[in-house]
Amino acid sequence: MSVNAWIVVAEQPTVGNLIAVARSLGGPVGAVVVGPRAVAETVAAGGVDRVVWCSAPDDVPAEASAPTVADTVAADPPRVVLAGRNPGERVLLGAAAARLGAAVLTGARSVSIDGEKTIVVNAVYGDIAEETVAVSGSVALLLDGGSVPPPAGGSAPIEEVSGTPLGLNVIETSTHGFEEADLNSARRVIGVGRGLKAKEDLATIEELAHAIQAEIACSRPVAEGLNWMGKDRYIGSSGAHISPQLYVAVGISGQLQHMVGVTGAETIVAINSDPNAAVFKQADYGLVGDLYRLVPAITAALK
Amino acid sequence: MRIVVTYKWTCDPEEAAVRADGTVDWSRAKPGLSTYDPVAIELARRLADQADAELVGVTAGGKGVGVPIATKTALSRGLDRVVVIEDDSLREAGRSELAAVLAAAVRQIGDVALVITGDSSVDVAAKMVPTVLAGELGWPAVAEVTAVAGQAGALRVERAIPGGTQVLGISGPVVLAASADAAVPHVPGMKELLAAGKKPVERLALSDLKVLPRNATMTVTGRSRPERKARKGQLIDTADPAAAAAELVTALREVGAL
Repeated sequence: MSVNAWIVVAEQPTVGNLIAVARSLGGPVGAVVVGPRAVAETVAAGGVDRVVWCSAPDDVPAEASAPTVADTVAADPPRVVLAGRNPGERVLLGAAAARLGAAVLTGARSVSIDGEKTIVVNAVYGDIAEETVAVSGSVALLLDGGSVPPPAGGSAPIEEVSGTPLGLNVIETSTHGFEEADLNSARRVIGVGRGLKAKEDLATIEELAHAIQAEIACSRPVAEGLNWMGKDRYIGSSGAHISPQLYVAVGISGQLQHMVGVTGAETIVAINSDPNAAVFKQADYGLVGDLYRLVPAITAALK
Repeated sequence: MRIVVTYKWTCDPEEAAVRADGTVDWSRAKPGLSTYDPVAIELARRLADQADAELVGVTAGGKGVGVPIATKTALSRGLDRVVVIEDDSLREAGRSELAAVLAAAVRQIGDVALVITGDSSVDVAAKMVPTVLAGELGWPAVAEVTAVAGQAGALRVERAIPGGTQVLGISGPVVLAASADAAVPHVPGMKELLAAGKKPVERLALSDLKVLPRNATMTVTGRSRPERKARKGQLIDTADPAAAAAELVTALREVGAL
């Protein structure tokens, strides 16, 4: 069976959105899965036509199977190859794109087929502009993977391949102890920036988060550099893009790199001590002042 | 033995303006070394010193990426020399084309078993150039790298994974994309700035390189400025924090945000 779209999967079956996009283009959909067999089985049941499972020893990371993934995809060259944004998937997609000589796009808003061409509306330069691109030949798309696909009824056959993995092995894995974030499904999100003076002060933010049932997120330096939260909690052009009902930016200046991650928010509140902070121009409600006085006051007002 | 760091001389979209027709106006933006590239150079410099390797910077892009201020800025960060591929056909190049050019440069430089890149570029932020570059070379890539020890052929690499960190042993050539906090770049002193002006800059034409052809071609057929939700921009008087909080809570309840 010749596939129209390949989905590249690394370690996690969080590919519901990828299957939906691949299906929308018509034609058979294949998935090449690196990771435990159970992941291949979940993907096979999630609505694809063909699954190739690259088996590898447990201590071999997904990246080591990049050539096997590239070989598999190139043996049945698709119009589109899709992957989610996790680091392992990016690496496998890069290997496939290189082998196919494919175009690579990472900001796809929509994908459609027009005869021999694949048409992609693609956000560029930190989402400040959009381009419509017509691609002849293969195109590799990096997209939000979505959630685990529900069983679609039946299961695609699983072919096992075992290529020679590249020389990588896992020596140790440790957890950072931060609670895993679920920003995308949160209805309310509070974003914390460098206006917060100390990690202990997050307690004040947590009280407000509790009162409005919000997830806590942050600007990039708070997760990377200050290391106050897990990296899955930073919002921005290279981080999470969210569309909650309410976003409260606390001590965030409002730089483009951060704000493009919340343009989809229904309502934005900004709290910042600098009246000239760019965040106020991008907010629905602005409170200029000391967050250490304002945040507890808002928590109190909710009681 | 050589270590290559790829870097980009470009502008921050923060300083760009998007015209009504969707084209981007960069005329008021000032180009610089892409935000996370100094991290990659710092990390690579330490590894090069430990392994007694030569550290070569490589950049590819449109007109301007090889101007003296650009090469000098990159060199002052600790590179031993730079290789510049400056060709206006690369100005609007896609990730895949750029990665293929960088891969061809790495092959041409020779004796390279380790390439280090920044996390993402300040302008495009695609995080795909390092991975396609690795694919072009037939090497693995590892992204979100937070620490590196050892030398090419026997590397110990720590990287962030969802929920924690992982330490990998890597026995072959590899492309490592450093995370933004992998190293703290030092600020070059006067001595380094002066020395940077005397370090070698090699200029390669695209025709000097064996760039593998792309099968895909991309044509931009339309541009637009995305419509942004109009924001109210309403400032609430905070002279009395309790009153301000009450006003905010009332407003948020009215619009259904709470």
